[in-house]
Amino acid sequence: MIAVELRKLFRRPRTWITIALLNSLPVLVAVLLKLTDLAPRPGEGPAFLSAVLTNGTLFPLAALAIVLPLFLPIAVAVVAGDAVAGEAQGGTLRYLLARPAGRTRLLVAKLVAVIAFVLVTVVIVAAVGYLVGTTLFEVQSVGATTALSGSTLTPEQVAWRTVLSIGYVTISMLGVAAFALFFSTLTDSPQLATLGALAVLIGSSLLFTLDAASDIAPYLPTRYWLSFVDFFRDPILWRDVVRGLGLQAVYVVVLLGAAWANFTTKDIAS
Amino acid sequence: MVRRGWRWAVVALGLAVLVALPALVAALPADDRDLSAAELRAQVVASEDVAFSGYAISTGGLVLPVSDALTGVADLLSDQTALRAWYRDADDWRVDVVTATGETGTHRDASGTWTWDYADQRASRGDDPPLALPSAPDLLPSALGRRLLSEATDAELTRIAPARVAGVDAVGLRYTPADAAASVSAVDVWVDPGTGLPLRVVVRSADTDVPALDTRFLDLDLSAPAASTTDFSPPADSDITRDQDLRDLDLGRQERADLPSALAGLARRTFDGVPDQVGAYGSGITVLAVSALPGRAAGSLRDQLSRTPGAVVDDLGVRIAAGPLSLMVAGTSTRDGGSGTYLLAGTVTLDALAAAARQIQEAGR
Amino acid sequence: MTGSDTVIATHGLRKAYGSLRAVDGIDLDVRAGDVYGFLGANGSGKTTTVRMLLGLVLPTAGTVEVLGRPIPKAAREVLPQVGALIEHPAAYGHLSAAANLSLFDAAGPGGVRRTRRSRIAEVLEQVGLGGVGKRPVRGFSLGMRQRLGLAGALLRRPALLVLDEPTNGLDPQGIHEIRTLLLDLNRTGTTVFLSSHLLAEIEQLATRVGVLDRGRMVLQDDLATLTAPTGATVVDTPQAERARAVLGDRVLSADGDRLVVRGAEPAEVNAVLVGAGVPVSGLTLQRPTLEEVVLAAATGSGDRVAA
Repeated sequence: MIAVELRKLFRRPRTWITIALLNSLPVLVAVLLKLTDLAPRPGEGPAFLSAVLTNGTLFPLAALAIVLPLFLPIAVAVVAGDAVAGEAQGGTLRYLLARPAGRTRLLVAKLVAVIAFVLVTVVIVAAVGYLVGTTLFEVQSVGATTALSGSTLTPEQVAWRTVLSIGYVTISMLGVAAFALFFSTLTDSPQLATLGALAVLIGSSLLFTLDAASDIAPYLPTRYWLSFVDFFRDPILWRDVVRGLGLQAVYVVVLLGAAWANFTTKDIAS
Repeated sequence: MVRRGWRWAVVALGLAVLVALPALVAALPADDRDLSAAELRAQVVASEDVAFSGYAISTGGLVLPVSDALTGVADLLSDQTALRAWYRDADDWRVDVVTATGETGTHRDASGTWTWDYADQRASRGDDPPLALPSAPDLLPSALGRRLLSEATDAELTRIAPARVAGVDAVGLRYTPADAAASVSAVDVWVDPGTGLPLRVVVRSADTDVPALDTRFLDLDLSAPAASTTDFSPPADSDITRDQDLRDLDLGRQERADLPSALAGLARRTFDGVPDQVGAYGSGITVLAVSALPGRAAGSLRDQLSRTPGAVVDDLGVRIAAGPLSLMVAGTSTRDGGSGTYLLAGTVTLDALAAAARQIQEAGR
Repeated sequence: MTGSDTVIATHGLRKAYGSLRAVDGIDLDVRAGDVYGFLGANGSGKTTTVRMLLGLVLPTAGTVEVLGRPIPKAAREVLPQVGALIEHPAAYGHLSAAANLSLFDAAGPGGVRRTRRSRIAEVLEQVGLGGVGKRPVRGFSLGMRQRLGLAGALLRRPALLVLDEPTNGLDPQGIHEIRTLLLDLNRTGTTVFLSSHLLAEIEQLATRVGVLDRGRMVLQDDLATLTAPTGATVVDTPQAERARAVLGDRVLSADGDRLVVRGAEPAEVNAVLVGAGVPVSGLTLQRPTLEEVVLAAATGSGDRVAA
């Protein structure tokens, strides 16, 4: 079942168009930086972008920071919102369930496919970022990447921490994916499910900036998104990373549970 | 016929457990210890050699009227500051102020401090001046608690209920300053009974329920951090500068150093290296600093203060209060060879400030 | 009650949406080897019933058994042996017919991977899509999609076919092909449950008929029984008046030159009339048409809203 969902997802032209669009923004940013030489100050603009002009190997991280706030979650919401509602709208859902695919299995397979999509997307963004970064900008051959804490990281450390960041960003998207998947079981319109997940996302981002909402801030799905930056402190600051992972896990468990409770008792009328 | 409700019940129950769990853990009662307030204070004051590493959050409840000057201090006292600390001993520690996309680290060694600012890619060296503006490391509960309790008398201390801080059952101590001039109504300190390390400090002022400052550890590890963690050597391509401190400020040409030996009931005290133009008064949490101001600086600061809501303007000068902090520009006119303009700042009431300004005027006459 | 040869059995099957009873106490009885015609007007509850048989819609009350096992509880064991066409066919537009079938086959249990390729080629040939190649389904006509849907239903050589309006969108030639295909399959042992609102289609294919009217089953019997001779003979004669006089009260009804006469032996009726010198131009044993049977049982069109 999972293999079927993966085949469906990655044989679909739209999946690759989405990934290509997602990559266009970091590439555009890189080209503009190269042409103008105007990097933002450190601590301003997307994380790590300031350091890119002198060290192109950091561009994968800058690319992730560029797509993280909006592009990536939109892509995730589109794919996950389409998961069940898209099949319902296309009429294939009734055939899958009469096959029978098993409702719980289908739901889990959809989630796994969405996770795979996020992982593939993030890896491609990082890989394209690396290619673009090392082509357009200087590459420092000796280990001279400065961590946020002012210490020096070896290229091996940078590579390892970049891998950790990719994993963390992937997991950070699971909350959005779970919301979209849950909404996707509520409606037969994939657009509605996607919009619902985006509404949650925007609401969460807005509340996060509001002092009055500081009591609920630790529970917002977007709260720990930027914590991948903590991998580049020295020593690594695990606190928010661990909390981010736990928070995403809670969202996935609760929303997948709700999706399951709804979907397994739902009359398929589409 | 399919029973549908139970699935939702399972989900709702799971959600309820997950939501309630943090609150339940927080509600677990903390154990108290049979320690007197004086014993506890002695432990705190002696805790300077306790090594630890941890993560602390400091929340300032003050709205300071300073807009452009002193923004660093204003941020510390009005915002939430996340601090990572590694402490080996009094001359070997590191405190990082952590922001979403950067950090500022202070590394102490035997001869001074390195301050690393990621945003500016700048490392600066300083040598532990005797008088300095508050900086982030001062907000660490361990440092702040020790400092505030160091001059408290036993009569000013009472025990309060224990609390769980960073997973430790911390015993409570309240410091209520006895000075009439004090604007701080109480300082609550929760202390690790094993080591005497202050884990949480809450500074309260009389006029509001919102603490002026609430700083506490969220994570604490009492094992000594590695020396390599607190060490610092500036990265190759960074700017290296020297710290400025208050001694470098231009305090005006006036040579008048005849500030009174007591102001508003607070005795003057002296610190090595502090220039004579600056007078420090009071003890413990009730302190007042007085300094002559050069004319031009005085004018702009007076304008700025008088535009602040709640500012009191009278013939003594302009004074404002922000929580327990108060600030005054005193002396409205400069006579020939007469008294200049003074800046008064401290944790005293506005009435105490006015009294102090009057005393300075009289002394100058 | 559920014998070994019973393929579909429902008992008191009911589906209510709020106060509306879409399906109200249906007892289906489909036996092995049947071509069961499930007849009903639009909105009579056919589709809801079909969906309940396949575990897509959960009944409000009553039980469903397919191939002797309860649905939806044993759906995972039962449904792999059931091929279904539910309302319209559906497929992924960007994939070819074969790729669609391959995904569909892999999506559930019972689709043996080793034989998948050959099974797909075989069913595509069977439904007349053998030459469709790698063209994406997006460009298929309605009829081609219908054939593809049928191919999906046939993919695992099911013991039971549940087909909802299978000839929808096909041209007369296509309808004939599909009909022949279904009859062939039935001859080799496949039970066919055919849901349709087309009387003619059911009449030509079904061996057993169930008629649904506003959620209730109004009729369920063998087609042969339903359309059995009525015991009357239909006589066509140019001299209807004389024939009536000869036959007297044996005439049940008259309509122009056509008389309906009591008596199940047309030869005997003929002998009486010819013996009396009345010319006879036609003689048949009277059988009711399915349409007549259905109209007599049902109350009216389901989408007609009474004032």
